[in-house]
Amino acid sequence: MLDRAYQWIDDRLGIDPIIRDVVDHPVPEHVNPAIHPRSIVYCFGGLTFFIFTLLITTGIFLTMYYVPTPDHAYDSVRYITDELTLGSIVRGIHHWSASGIVIMVVLHMLRVYAQGAYKAPREMNWMVGVGLLMVVMGFGFTGYLLPWDQKAYWATTVGTKMASQVPVVGHYLLLILRGGEDLGAVTLARFYSFHIWFLPGAAVTLLGLHFLMVRRQGISGPL
Amino acid sequence: MHSSLNPQSPPPDPTLVSRRRFLGFGIGAIGALIASALGIPLVGYAISPALKKKKEDWAEAGSVAGFQPLQPKKIEYSAFRKDGWIEETVKKSAWVILRDGGDVTVYDPRCTHLGCAYRWDESRKSFLCPCHDGVFDINGKVVSGPPPRPLDRLQAKIESGKLFIMEG
Ligand code: FES
Repeated sequence: MLDRAYQWIDDRLGIDPIIRDVVDHPVPEHVNPAIHPRSIVYCFGGLTFFIFTLLITTGIFLTMYYVPTPDHAYDSVRYITDELTLGSIVRGIHHWSASGIVIMVVLHMLRVYAQGAYKAPREMNWMVGVGLLMVVMGFGFTGYLLPWDQKAYWATTVGTKMASQVPVVGHYLLLILRGGEDLGAVTLARFYSFHIWFLPGAAVTLLGLHFLMVRRQGISGPL
Repeated sequence: MHSSLNPQSPPPDPTLVSRRRFLGFGIGAIGALIASALGIPLVGYAISPALKKKKEDWAEAGSVAGFQPLQPKKIEYSAFRKDGWIEETVKKSAWVILRDGGDVTVYDPRCTHLGCAYRWDESRKSFLCPCHDGVFDINGKVVSGPPPRPLDRLQAKIESGKLFIMEG
């Protein structure tokens, strides 16, 4: 049944070579954990991406109820967690994945660093990876404010205050981050905007480059 | 799935599942497991408002001390309303009629035709709707005009001199 559907589409679009190229290519022996158990370290990047898909999916669903205004943010989060069927699971996946992705990113980076896999000819992919690290940090920083509870409020107060320590332009940075002197409605709205539009856009673009370069250059050889 | 077969090798036995196909199924099954572990909570969460039982609640609508039997009176009261995460009290009104046996009838204050507010006319002993001349008697029945059904009744009770109206 599935085979026939696949065949039907393939007859029309010739997708077979594309599918093969994307999912049906051999894994090099030195990165295959079934052959070398220590090769499990090569999974860290893939696991990071897996958690990223969890975050994107649960994040999209969370926007269904969450409202980023000071008078509704806290209550809508409480509504999601306490009143919706399985809402605590959906929010829980997002919450724990947020911590999980930071851990996986660091492990992935350590592996690449320890193996020297960032060296020529892969410097550009390392740089894209650093960009992705910044994006993940940005997600963490902006997402932390959204529940609009005491912890979120004061953590962001401190976090944005740090920017004001930059010489000369510090105060302007603070105003840009907060959208005003104090943390408030404008801050919450712009953090939300970054969290669900700008950063995901950047993440998807950089991930595309990251993966294309891996395919183009191959996975670096054994030490 | 579509492994290119070596033309020299004997034709495959169609009853045999190749290792490749078996592993393909395995990966598919694990993928489906992960997808449903994520998908079931997401769907439940998304349709959750439709699964919720409507909460019913008695709203206290004040004392009926000065009310004359069979003398309709319009009252204002406040009811608690929950709209998602927004909880608020809203102003409501209703028409209240005390019956002889101590029973009470409460009507929704909107005409059943197109929702206008109607009033009680003592001389004609009827409820009159100004919008399209709908007329109801004291039992809510349509006497004349376009309203398609009697006035809507709200569930109500009197407890120790106080009127309670069912919300929701
Ligand atoms: S709305 Fe009352 S008669 Fe039309």
